[in-house]
Amino acid sequence: MRLLGLIARRLVWVPATLIGLVVLVFVISHVVPNDPARIIAGENATTAQLAALRHQYGFDLPLPEQLLRYIIQVARGDMGVSLYTQTPVAGEIWRRLPATMELAVYAMAVAVLLGVPLGVAAALRRNSWFDHTLRVLTVSGLAIAAFWLAILLQLLFAMWLNLTPVQGRVSDFGPSGITGFYTIDAALAGDWSTELDVLRHLALPVMTLAFPAMATIVRFTRAGVIGTLGSFFVDYQRAMGVPWRVTVWRYVLRSALTGTLTQIGLVFGNLLAGAVVVEAVFDWPGLGQFAVNSILQSDYNAILGFTIYVGVMFIVVNLLIDVGQVLLDPRGR
Amino acid sequence: MTSESESRLVLGRRELALGAATLSVAAATPALAAGTGKFITANNNSYDTLDPHVVFDIGRIASRLNLYDALVRWTDDPPKLNMWLAEKVDISPDALTYTFTLKDAKFHDGTPITAEDVVYSMERILALKKGAYGLFSSVVKPGTTKALNPKTVQFRLTSPYAVFMAVLPEMWVVNSKMVRAHEHNGDWGAGWLARHEAGSGSFRLTHYDPAVGFAADRYAAHFMGWGPKYLDSIEFRGILEVASRVLGLEKGEFDALDGYTPYDQIKRLRGKPKVKILTEPSLRTMYFIIHNRRPPLDDVNMRRALCYAFDYNGFINNLLDGSVVRNAGIIPDPMWGAPKDLQGYTYDLDKAKAALAKVKGPMRTLTINALGGYPQSGQAAELLQSGLAKIGVKATIQSQPWPVVAARLGDEQKSADLIPLWRSAYFADPHNWTGYIYNSKQIGRGNLSFFSNKRFDELTDKALVLVKQADRQPLYEEASRILVDEAAGLFIYNTNYYGAFNDRVQGVRYCPIADAQDMRWQWLA
Repeated sequence: MRLLGLIARRLVWVPATLIGLVVLVFVISHVVPNDPARIIAGENATTAQLAALRHQYGFDLPLPEQLLRYIIQVARGDMGVSLYTQTPVAGEIWRRLPATMELAVYAMAVAVLLGVPLGVAAALRRNSWFDHTLRVLTVSGLAIAAFWLAILLQLLFAMWLNLTPVQGRVSDFGPSGITGFYTIDAALAGDWSTELDVLRHLALPVMTLAFPAMATIVRFTRAGVIGTLGSFFVDYQRAMGVPWRVTVWRYVLRSALTGTLTQIGLVFGNLLAGAVVVEAVFDWPGLGQFAVNSILQSDYNAILGFTIYVGVMFIVVNLLIDVGQVLLDPRGR
Repeated sequence: MTSESESRLVLGRRELALGAATLSVAAATPALAAGTGKFITANNNSYDTLDPHVVFDIGRIASRLNLYDALVRWTDDPPKLNMWLAEKVDISPDALTYTFTLKDAKFHDGTPITAEDVVYSMERILALKKGAYGLFSSVVKPGTTKALNPKTVQFRLTSPYAVFMAVLPEMWVVNSKMVRAHEHNGDWGAGWLARHEAGSGSFRLTHYDPAVGFAADRYAAHFMGWGPKYLDSIEFRGILEVASRVLGLEKGEFDALDGYTPYDQIKRLRGKPKVKILTEPSLRTMYFIIHNRRPPLDDVNMRRALCYAFDYNGFINNLLDGSVVRNAGIIPDPMWGAPKDLQGYTYDLDKAKAALAKVKGPMRTLTINALGGYPQSGQAAELLQSGLAKIGVKATIQSQPWPVVAARLGDEQKSADLIPLWRSAYFADPHNWTGYIYNSKQIGRGNLSFFSNKRFDELTDKALVLVKQADRQPLYEEASRILVDEAAGLFIYNTNYYGAFNDRVQGVRYCPIADAQDMRWQWLA
């Protein structure tokens, strides 16, 4: 029941958080001295054409009125139409969501599956050569710029070793399917050549995103495990003859993971918001590219729609993290 | 007295420079015809919409050129205007009525193309007020385009407009029945056509994903027929990152890149195996917009001082590595109407100081509005700032993204003193570089320099009324000289086109307005 109460308390704040977010982004995007009508119409536009476009999209209305109209529209579930492509913004986001989700999920999976065991191993072999080597690697992972790492990986794996493609999500237009996750859709269709092609395309962007994420997870897991190893319950279990492996992986790790889980949530939230640089370098057709294009084209509706999506994603991920921490740590119940 | 039949101008294939040998390929022997596979182009722009009537740029022209047809079409370099869907055009003596006779052609769904489709397409452009609307709106009013019969369409202009034929390639003909069937709340089918196609072009859409690009298969029944070799299918991918495009070409993932590849990458690609570079003179001039009305720039001596203070050779040869060609005026030199003996300004600080000494009004710090994200624009701004400092004129540089700069353009109070940018070939006619951007009637619209000159206006107005190129050419040549003499802008260079291709690519026909992306001519060896 306490868990349900926690979820309910979090959900109560969702509308207020989103409205605050929309107001903030709306004001920032609209006070910048640019003119989307001119962007839409191009440099050969006539004055009448510009005036007509401003009227059509309501840019000639006072800013508070524009904001109010937008909030009412969003409350009805309508994010509006992209000023640039004339298609519903929600549809544009929905179409690109699977690409970003698939990339984020695989990158997180790799980061967690490698990062947690490595963090535990580093803590158990504290100050050994293994720990020092891992420290160099993790500091590198946090320090190296994503675009630089991406280009290095492209040169190494795509150009020199010829193991992967340079860019893209798939060689053609991808398998048609219900999930939008190409790895799942290709597998469901039994199309294994496409499956392999999709995995080869996934490899480099996943590595680029997973490396810094893994570095964060290793550092927090290591610190958490070292802190927990000094607890009385660990000495007690050793004294009681509980096997060391069981103590570490069942009890120490569970206690140490609360900090790591928070970091996983933050990193995952960022990935779901679209890894802008990585999506650009690898031409990944996800939300990061959508956000960049929208900003470059001053596409107000698309920018606001994307912001709402990011806000919702962070709210959902934070909620899941809170729930996860309660489940991990019985004291939270 | 000349009778109407004598003075009426009828243009057919031959008159519009349509060489039978170059374009009439329908007679190719079917037995020898062969598809050569799939061609993938990496483009620097995303294909965020397929609607041919809402965009008007070179970056996304591939979807319009390959999926749609127009009455006439530009090809080759220098650009030649060819009859396309139109068999011939009859232009009335007062140059107000254009009557086109259509060829037998069909849309991709097999529906014959009729005059009604042409009327609908023009009305749609005028209603949507986007894309190429600005090219037609001043002379074509809604409801004035008529289908005289299924094969004859007539445009009635409100005033003579000599560039009407030159801008018509941007009036893409859509399948009116198909689009009408998808209209929703009076949107002229805009929501549907952004994601689908309703054309008759050389290729028929098979896949479209705005986040990726589009793919299309050859339309075997295209009315222009096909040569002995052709592409089976084409794919255009929007790839924003230049390094990914270049690496993809090297690796063989792509067959061609767009025409905006930075020159340092072109130089790098020149030494690569399986890559070839096509170089052609283009029609895109770089210049500084000068605010001709704001003191002290309203004084011609001040403007001349600016023009003498810019190091043209340093910019072209050192900063740009000789990849562009000096262009003394605003009209690109390969274009007719550009005076071949035009003497432009040179970097001469003594002359700059002499001109500056004649300026009567008080001096002030000038503002240069460079385009953020366009390194050349910033470099040109810094070079001018440096030259001005040497003659004692202070200038500050504001680098801002295009949307911010664009929002101020045309606003006499807010527009910056100087803006380094480019004038592209929206249509291959000198009007694009002269009357459209310097005639005083265009102030606040195309004329972003607030330049006003009575003789220039007379020349460019008269040139718009005349139909024959021979009559118009001397007018534009004189107009171009006036712009230089008045230092209406600071004119720098004309671009070259550098196209990077896989070495298997054959049959490329570059056109400054089509950017080598009209794929019906190309094939793979």
